Amino acid sequence: MNRKIAKRMSAFVPLTLTAALLAACSGGGSGSGLSNNGAASPSAGGNDGSSPSASAPAADSGKPDTSKKVELVWYVLGDAHQDTPKVLAEWNKRLEKDLNTTVKLNFTSWNEWQSKYNLLLASGEKVDMLFASSWADFYKYAKQGAFMDLTGLLPKYAPQTWEEVPKDDWDTATVGGKIYAVPNTNPEYTPNGIVYREDWRQELGLPEIKDLDSIEAYLDGVKKGKPGVTPIGGKAWNEVYTLFTDYYDFKVYGGESGVIASTSYDKPRDIVVYPFTSQFEEFVKRMKTWADRGFWASNTLSSQTEAGDLIKAGTGAVYWRNAPGAGGFITDVSKTNPDYKLGYFPYTRFHNYAIPTLPMANAMAVPKSAANPERSLMVLDKLRNDPTYFRLMTYGIEGTHYSIEADGKTIVTPPAGATVAKDWKNYDIASWGWRYKPNMLDQKGSWEGLKALNEEFAAEAKPNIFDPITMDYAPVKAEQAAVNQVIKQYGQPLMMGLVKDPDKALETYRSKLKAAGVDKILAYVQEQANAYFDEKGIQ
Amino acid sequence: MKIKTEKSTLVFNAAGYTFLTILSLLCLLPFLVIIIGSLTSENEIIAEGFKLIPDRFSFDAYRAMFTNPIQIYRAYEVTILVTVVGTALGLFLTSMAGYVLSRKDFKFRNGLSFYIYFTTLFSGGLIPWYILIVNYLNLKDNYMVLVIPGLLSAWNLILMKNFMKSIPDSIVESAKIDGAGDFAIYLKLILPLSTPGLATIGLFMALAYWNDWFTANLFITSEHKFPLQFLLYKILASASVLKTNIAGNLSPDFKPPTETLKMATAVVVTGPIILLYPFLQRYFVKGLTIGAVKG
Repeated sequence: MNRKIAKRMSAFVPLTLTAALLAACSGGGSGSGLSNNGAASPSAGGNDGSSPSASAPAADSGKPDTSKKVELVWYVLGDAHQDTPKVLAEWNKRLEKDLNTTVKLNFTSWNEWQSKYNLLLASGEKVDMLFASSWADFYKYAKQGAFMDLTGLLPKYAPQTWEEVPKDDWDTATVGGKIYAVPNTNPEYTPNGIVYREDWRQELGLPEIKDLDSIEAYLDGVKKGKPGVTPIGGKAWNEVYTLFTDYYDFKVYGGESGVIASTSYDKPRDIVVYPFTSQFEEFVKRMKTWADRGFWASNTLSSQTEAGDLIKAGTGAVYWRNAPGAGGFITDVSKTNPDYKLGYFPYTRFHNYAIPTLPMANAMAVPKSAANPERSLMVLDKLRNDPTYFRLMTYGIEGTHYSIEADGKTIVTPPAGATVAKDWKNYDIASWGWRYKPNMLDQKGSWEGLKALNEEFAAEAKPNIFDPITMDYAPVKAEQAAVNQVIKQYGQPLMMGLVKDPDKALETYRSKLKAAGVDKILAYVQEQANAYFDEKGIQ
Repeated sequence: MKIKTEKSTLVFNAAGYTFLTILSLLCLLPFLVIIIGSLTSENEIIAEGFKLIPDRFSFDAYRAMFTNPIQIYRAYEVTILVTVVGTALGLFLTSMAGYVLSRKDFKFRNGLSFYIYFTTLFSGGLIPWYILIVNYLNLKDNYMVLVIPGLLSAWNLILMKNFMKSIPDSIVESAKIDGAGDFAIYLKLILPLSTPGLATIGLFMALAYWNDWFTANLFITSEHKFPLQFLLYKILASASVLKTNIAGNLSPDFKPPTETLKMATAVVVTGPIILLYPFLQRYFVKGLTIGAVKG
């Protein structure tokens, strides 16, 4: 009897095992099965099937004609909020009354949004407006002709927006003399910086953080004074990498997967491969001593834990955030850990200037295949400029998602007097593309330091001359892939001080970069950047 | 009568069972970690990492997930419906096609087989497929898009055809002599004889439908039409977007799902399909060998 049960059990266990294995396999199987079916499909070209009326504005002046009811399709990034259908129903009710239009707002969700975005534009699907951004390859798509030229349409169909967006902002949305998008109007500063435990700093009598030495003193003090705490817990790469670029004022091209940089803001044309500089050598030696003193864990590059979560758990002390992100984090911690006191040190203080984000970082554009670009622009004009529309789509329904303070400029979430569940979420969708400063509201209870910081940044602002340089790296694709690999394999451990001998590792890193063809990328970037600087007259 | 077992066999069996059991338990470990992780309190995971025996149990993740369970129920409905309809219809089509291709008196069977096989080697790729479905078939945001593309796959067809080849011709012949039509032969004789093949391919299909999030990712835009797996991926993706350069644009209110919530979602989503295996197990072992010869 016992044996029988044992036999059954032992048969069952391996079976479950097989089950698990097969479940894992079939994930890949379903994908390939799908593409098999795709094979039978006729290969169609770019924009056929739907060549809608991209009609130029009608010759008649005066109010645009809205006698025909139109349903628009819009796309924004990210996910919908749970209550988005309710908000949209409300929005469409108003739109139908005012503009005889309804909008179906679709979300890409964050799963592979890039490939989805690509498909939307490449397939010629009927989309009337979508989110566009410099970091979502706006310039590349614009050059390829994926967006509709709005230059002639704007004054007629979005007159208010046309008036209110400054000329410089329109310039950032202009490619080859044509305006391809409506940039948002919300001057913002998002410099790097670190959030740190101010209460610990005071408790341990450490110097105020104002430069690299005081950061080092703080990390050291925390490490010694707070046993069990890893000063920069989890993944410390962001903290260290941004510290490097901002401390030496390197302006890196191509994000953190690039090694080409201008040596400083004042010398944009002095473009180098930064691992070959003496500053880099100095930095990695210093980081070696930091790593040896245990400022971060030795598994830091593979860790998936957010340093911020560790601050909340009481075992971390430093967290990289940009200024608005720091505001959000500090507000959040003030709720979860009310006894903490956090400070913020923006890296802009190393060189005392701040660069605003590019207006084109958040924008709305009309794809070439749009059926109703005119109506779409009219809706956008209304959405940006009419406070009721703007608030509805940005903050949700008044009374349900927020309430407004007596001053009319501050919102309270959850709304005053409402009792909400523990996991209540503010109404929040990717409304970035239609941001318009005068209509934006402050949130009550947010970190007060942010206002002071923004004033500080505004006072020392310098124009953003680097972000509009757009390169697709097409001629140096192979080299770029090789260099990326080298950065991951040799560069990151070196910068995190996780190597035995920094001198030797640096030498290896440099020779591997050379072998990967970094010089070819350098030449490409120099050529492209200088062409841009020539065009804009930057020396 | 009792067959006497040799002592050496007994020892060998004992050792074998022990070894396999330990091995299988080891394979169960990751899943156990997921289940326990979903029941651990969030702070403990952050501070001390995942453990097999947590200090404090917490049902917060499940509570959070089921405070608004409508979406999950809805997603379950969609997934189950798609899986059942897709598998049933798919099996019917696959077995019919497989039967036709396996009949020796079908003149073009080799050419047609090759035509089908060819698509496994060369496919049009993602963009043509997308254009076909969106612009020509107008299936965007339609339930049918979740079902149709998975109905027939070349791989399953070839499996089915090879399986049916193993059924002796004389059966078909005898039925013909008795006056049965082609469809009756297929329905009354071939299908019952192909149960192991049908079960295997049915399982493949059911799994493919159950696990498919990619089609929904591309084509489904209305929240109430999301299948279960896509819901899960959505939750995970919103956590990973925080690690990209978009993070700077996200509002400070944007909070990634907690570790425990991710685990709990995984449990809720995987649960039912695992239960399917024990029922299909007896066909499975037999069915696996039919894939041994391909082409």
